[in-house]
Amino acid sequence: MPDTPILQVENLSKFFPVQRGLLRRTVGHVKAVNDVTFTVNKGECLGLVGESGCGKTTVARCLLRLVEPDQGRILLHGERQTFDIASASRKEMLDVRRQMQIIFQDPFSSLDPRWRVTDVIAEPLMAQKVGRGEAGRRVLEILPTVGLGPHFADRFPHELSGGERQRVSIARALIVSPPLVVADEPVSALDVSVRSQIINLLLDLQSQMNLTYVFIAHDLSIVKHISHRIAVMYLGRLVELGTTQQVFEECKHPYTKALLASVLIPDPTHREQSYVLEGEVPSPLNPPSGCHFSTRCPFAQEQCSAEEPELRDMGDGHWVRCHFAEELDLSEEIFAPQFDTPTASN
Amino acid sequence: MPDSQPILEVHDLHVHFKMLAGIVRAVDGVDFTVERGRCLGIVGESGCGKSVTARSILRLLPSSDTSGQILYHPDGDDEPIDLVSLDAKGDAIRAIRGKDIAMIFQEPMTSLTPVYTIGEQIMESIRKHQDLSEEEAQALAISMLNKVGIPDAERRFGDYPHQMSGGMRQRVMIAIALCCEPRVLIADEPTTALDVTIQAQILRLIRSLQQDLDMSVIMITHDLSVIAQLADFVVVMYLGQMAEKAPVVELFQDPKHPYTQALLRSIVRPDTPPREQLHSISGSVPDPRNAPSGCRFRNRCPSVHDRCVEDPPVVEFGPQHSATCWLYVDE
Repeated sequence: MPDTPILQVENLSKFFPVQRGLLRRTVGHVKAVNDVTFTVNKGECLGLVGESGCGKTTVARCLLRLVEPDQGRILLHGERQTFDIASASRKEMLDVRRQMQIIFQDPFSSLDPRWRVTDVIAEPLMAQKVGRGEAGRRVLEILPTVGLGPHFADRFPHELSGGERQRVSIARALIVSPPLVVADEPVSALDVSVRSQIINLLLDLQSQMNLTYVFIAHDLSIVKHISHRIAVMYLGRLVELGTTQQVFEECKHPYTKALLASVLIPDPTHREQSYVLEGEVPSPLNPPSGCHFSTRCPFAQEQCSAEEPELRDMGDGHWVRCHFAEELDLSEEIFAPQFDTPTASN
Repeated sequence: MPDSQPILEVHDLHVHFKMLAGIVRAVDGVDFTVERGRCLGIVGESGCGKSVTARSILRLLPSSDTSGQILYHPDGDDEPIDLVSLDAKGDAIRAIRGKDIAMIFQEPMTSLTPVYTIGEQIMESIRKHQDLSEEEAQALAISMLNKVGIPDAERRFGDYPHQMSGGMRQRVMIAIALCCEPRVLIADEPTTALDVTIQAQILRLIRSLQQDLDMSVIMITHDLSVIAQLADFVVVMYLGQMAEKAPVVELFQDPKHPYTQALLRSIVRPDTPPREQLHSISGSVPDPRNAPSGCRFRNRCPSVHDRCVEDPPVVEFGPQHSATCWLYVDE
């Protein structure tokens, strides 16, 4: 795949003020997204992972300007022109949203219960001033693409199962044929047996319609399955960015390693691989000095709490934010075993 | 296995709820045994009846129609107690609830009361079941907080739940459940609301406490990875019925019920080729009020057959392995 960037995020920051007291004085800022830079290439899927509070959802919302970014540029290379989403006017945003749409996590709260499916899906078209007749026709066209029959058009969200609702959300995102789709935890609210259907659908749609995805999730096995490249975030910072192979097989940041090691493997004869990271994510209001991960890092040294590391290029597009990325050997099973393995029964 | 003494036996459990729209058979014929010091996993999707099964053991269900037997074997040679026959609000079940059998709920955000400190909430359980003075109870509560890995326990003792993170609140829930050294711990999706690194910590904690206290655990989850990592024995449920039960390694290596097989095929494993289509189960879990007759999985089953409209038989594949399916019965 030739690497043509479709989205370039440069030094994106979003600080939420924290207000206390009667006069609502600002006592500090939560640095939800702090100086994040990455590029998404045409036709690829970029996975964005991290624990709750790491800022991945705020990044998604900044990309669509559902929250106002404080600093940085978000360049969207459209078919005819390039937009800077961070400073685009209302009129330009209308064009931007024709090129980029979002799928939300919870299909139970992201659909208006009073709207019929056809109105839900047609809403982006209405915003683009498409006529009602044309909109209705395009809704009927898109329903089979997401695996729903035409009879779904007149139903209400409460008549649908979780999987069907998420198909409606996907149809709503795709109705304006955007080349870029941001999916924020699209499967985590779904039943196990339905989850794989929706992942298959997203994969299918990507190859059929040549879509580009920014795929946000906390389930690393799913991110690994669907993504070409992966960005790992911790406390508002990007700590590692690389191809799926680089991040999963050759990771260089101790946090990425810890995250990968805490993935539970669905095999009862392999209970020894899990590693337990001590402690919890510190408060984003008052992150540790230096490297934000230094308080939990098993390799932390003096330099780590004194000086914040830069995001550095390790070659082949593999970026790591760690002072000791070259020296650390994370390939070994450096961590203690978690559970004893049961013997095969009988 | 060194000791396979049963501590809890559930026989032919049925829990039905009368609703305006009709009867919901939330649990329809469930049988299993929890052995001393072992972990039983109950796995299934939403509406399969796994939480209702757990709650019916502690008789925590409002106005339901419960039948069958839940035999609890107390220490020594005492006669087993049938929990179903006890008055849900009586003293007998209250003496067992929280003391012999304790439960951890799914949401640490909502299952602690916001108006008491966590210390008071732990002490409530201790003083209910043990004859200890205020000071002794407080010392025990602090030692429990230490045991579940809450740093600086003496200071956190006076914290309110809103001052703690989700992982910490779940640890408090576990401390409350464990402060009377229960013989059975029921954990209902204890890690679903938590991040992966915290999930790993909590599961390790439950596992090590299980070994230290020789406690039995009933782990209820929708996540097959949690089952693979913790359970010794597994019950797979679908829409109130038991699809399959087996020792954990056997279940993962040789699943018999088409539902178990499909579930295991649909999850992403470390060796799943990237970006390939995953196996999936068609359709979605039906509304429990409109569950199909006979085998409830039949309208999604790849091996469906004419016989499936009748109630499927339980087929044994070994001393502890059985599946409820027509597939293995010759015509």
